[in-house]
Amino acid sequence: MTASAVDVKAPEQAPPPAPAPGRRRRFAVHFAHYKWLYLLLLPGVVYFAVFRYAPMYGVSIAFKDYVPFLGVNGSPWVGFQHFEDFFANPDFGRLLGNTLILAFLSLGIVFPLTIVLALLLNEVRLSILKRTVQTLVYIPHFLSWTIVASLSFLLFALDFGPLFLFINNVLGTDIDFLSDPAWFRPLIVLQEIWKNTGWGTIIFLAALATVDQDQYEAAIIDGAGRFRRVWHITLPGIRSTIIVMLILAIGQMLNTGFEQIYLMTNALNRSVAEVFDTYVYFVGITQGAYSYSTAVGLFKSLVGIVLIFGTNALAKRFNQSGLF
Amino acid sequence: MIRRKLSLAAAVVTATALTLTACSGGEAPAADTSKISLMAPFLEAQPPSADGAVQQKLEELTGKDINITWTPNASYEDKMNITLASAEIPQVMVVQSKSPGFVKNAEAGAFWDLTDKLDEYPNLKTTFPEVEQNASINGKVYGVFRARNPIRAAVMFRQDWLDKLGLKAPETTEDLYNVAKAFTEQDPDGNGQDDTWGITIPKWGALGSNSPYDIIEEWYGAGNRWTEKDGKLIPSFETEEFLEANRFVKKMVDEKLINPDFATFDGTKWNEPFFNGKGGIIVDVDSRVSVLINLFKQANPNDFENKVGFVGNLKGPDGELHAHPTDGYSGFLAIPKTSVRTEAELKNVLEFLNTMNGKEVAALLNNGIEGVNFTVEDGKAATIKPETAEGKAVATDIKSYAQLGTNVTGNNFYPVKQASDYEQKVFDKRVEVMAEDLKSAVYNPAAAFVSPTYVAKGAQLDNIVADARIKYLAGQIDEQGLKDAIKLWKSSGGDKVQEEINKLWQDSK
Repeated sequence: MTASAVDVKAPEQAPPPAPAPGRRRRFAVHFAHYKWLYLLLLPGVVYFAVFRYAPMYGVSIAFKDYVPFLGVNGSPWVGFQHFEDFFANPDFGRLLGNTLILAFLSLGIVFPLTIVLALLLNEVRLSILKRTVQTLVYIPHFLSWTIVASLSFLLFALDFGPLFLFINNVLGTDIDFLSDPAWFRPLIVLQEIWKNTGWGTIIFLAALATVDQDQYEAAIIDGAGRFRRVWHITLPGIRSTIIVMLILAIGQMLNTGFEQIYLMTNALNRSVAEVFDTYVYFVGITQGAYSYSTAVGLFKSLVGIVLIFGTNALAKRFNQSGLF
Repeated sequence: MIRRKLSLAAAVVTATALTLTACSGGEAPAADTSKISLMAPFLEAQPPSADGAVQQKLEELTGKDINITWTPNASYEDKMNITLASAEIPQVMVVQSKSPGFVKNAEAGAFWDLTDKLDEYPNLKTTFPEVEQNASINGKVYGVFRARNPIRAAVMFRQDWLDKLGLKAPETTEDLYNVAKAFTEQDPDGNGQDDTWGITIPKWGALGSNSPYDIIEEWYGAGNRWTEKDGKLIPSFETEEFLEANRFVKKMVDEKLINPDFATFDGTKWNEPFFNGKGGIIVDVDSRVSVLINLFKQANPNDFENKVGFVGNLKGPDGELHAHPTDGYSGFLAIPKTSVRTEAELKNVLEFLNTMNGKEVAALLNNGIEGVNFTVEDGKAATIKPETAEGKAVATDIKSYAQLGTNVTGNNFYPVKQASDYEQKVFDKRVEVMAEDLKSAVYNPAAAFVSPTYVAKGAQLDNIVADARIKYLAGQIDEQGLKDAIKLWKSSGGDKVQEEINKLWQDSK
């Protein structure tokens, strides 16, 4: 960290020699002076240009009536037709609602749980136990959603799934978790907790390692208990990490996880399950309505951008350093 | 290097010369007529290999260098749409249905219109013109359809259970209910436990997917997707019979005669409850009869002959038989204009397809290689026993190659000789029952019509009704809720679909 910071700063301390007249000349000198830094930058620029920016020209089909045979350039323009159709569609409110609810559930439950798990792991004193638990909670991250969904189907299967039998026997109920719309969201959140909280702790654990140990000693001398130490030392110590992770999470928030939701959807819970991602797949890929689904995807991206800027501004307002 | 350059130059010169003579071809270089590329789905675990015996024989019989892109059936539609948007388009594509993606491309001119072209080719001039119409887009034929038996609906049941309970095979929907009830309540497997149900239904619920729901509705007289009423076509779910049929199914769901997880049950496991003695009835295509018999045969080769019974379509409550037919085809082979540019190239491809549907190639695609995996006995293809590794490979491969068969002039290949007398008897009975039901088939009168509104949002519209149907059966909504969903279908664009379909119907008369 520190070493590279010094390297980058070094040229700045020695200003470019003999400022030449003329802007172009000045740039040439500037460029020649910093050429290695620009070279370092190049792969990143190329990556973004080729894989992130160039494909964006395809976004133009959101404003066209795209037919594969005619190509992107050959298809006729239709302006905002697809957006109008989408906003006027009775599905629109439902999709937006489902997407936002799932997104906020994930943000409100899974995100804090990640921090809680990281704090818990941090408090484990026995090193071997800590490492074992850490490895164990990482494992689910490496299973694909298909496996997670299959496991859920087995565990909650009507009439013979072990969890189905257990919960319904204990509560004396008769809930079909897999098709009851009321249970769709809890199931999705549970799956996400199971799969992703462990992996999510990595960055927080790294941040926790940087908290000054002297402060704990001082706190212990002052008579602070464990919870007080966590509250007054640990959490403020990783506050900036939490904020950055939160902003990043909010940027990803509308990506509700296509596979997971697609696999858990059925005719009975579709009313709460259908989100932007599954809708784009259903309408765009399986029905060939590329333009319409691109418009939907573009709208989703716009919402995502608004959310990122909003959170960033909010973070700055509360005197935290934002992401940018 | 020099040689390569020279040959390249030679190729360019030849190509230019060819273009000049072809003249009408414009700037496009004439394609190599000895090569044919195809795209087709495969339903087996593995696609056939490109150097397998079937492929070699196929190239030998057609005299072409054949390149087939095998695509998994489950994602075929996605891949087809993506392929059409790409630069590498095969010369012949299996199109599985008149999906909106296909229709849009076809109407933009992506595929050759073959309406007046097929009659020149003896093996492509169909003997089922009405099916060709069904497969067309408002009368325009965009491909050589892949013929299927129009009547496939059957009721399969555990014959041993039926015998044990002293029941008769069902003939009417009322009988179906009684058998299902007996299978559920009278302990047909005799283990003293209440652990069986009547009918197993998987989660397939889309409208017009030949699901058990569609079939039962048709038996009740609701029609097949569209129904003529007072000189107009209405969607079959707007009929009173549709509601009656669903009340009937709901009654069975409520009395637990149907598997309780019908909304989530995986269709690929459909045979399991039947085989394991949980659910005794399946309503599906009749070819499942053989699959079920085979399951029992594999489990016990000495005792499998009285396990599976079946009947064809059932009479509805009105005492009439409204048999459920498919549209008689399963997609078609379409020819993209991007890869086949000139009339001359088209002629070449059509000649190839003509050869493909000739007796020799049809037998290869469907039966395999004579002397390797089958021999002809009494005009039937009998599997060579014991199977050699070579024969097995051919038998596996043709399951995929059969996807390229069109059979528009009837089946040009040998009927398969069944493995045992019992299975031959069952097979012959299937053919007989289906032929009998064909006389009472109620077809979809709007099969040939493609309405623009339906193309734009038909699938979403249909989902409204399809989901409501399942919700109604599961008890999430009542009959009023189902009717409201049908109203929502109409107000969300269904009215317009209906108007367009009716106009096309009137115009075609």
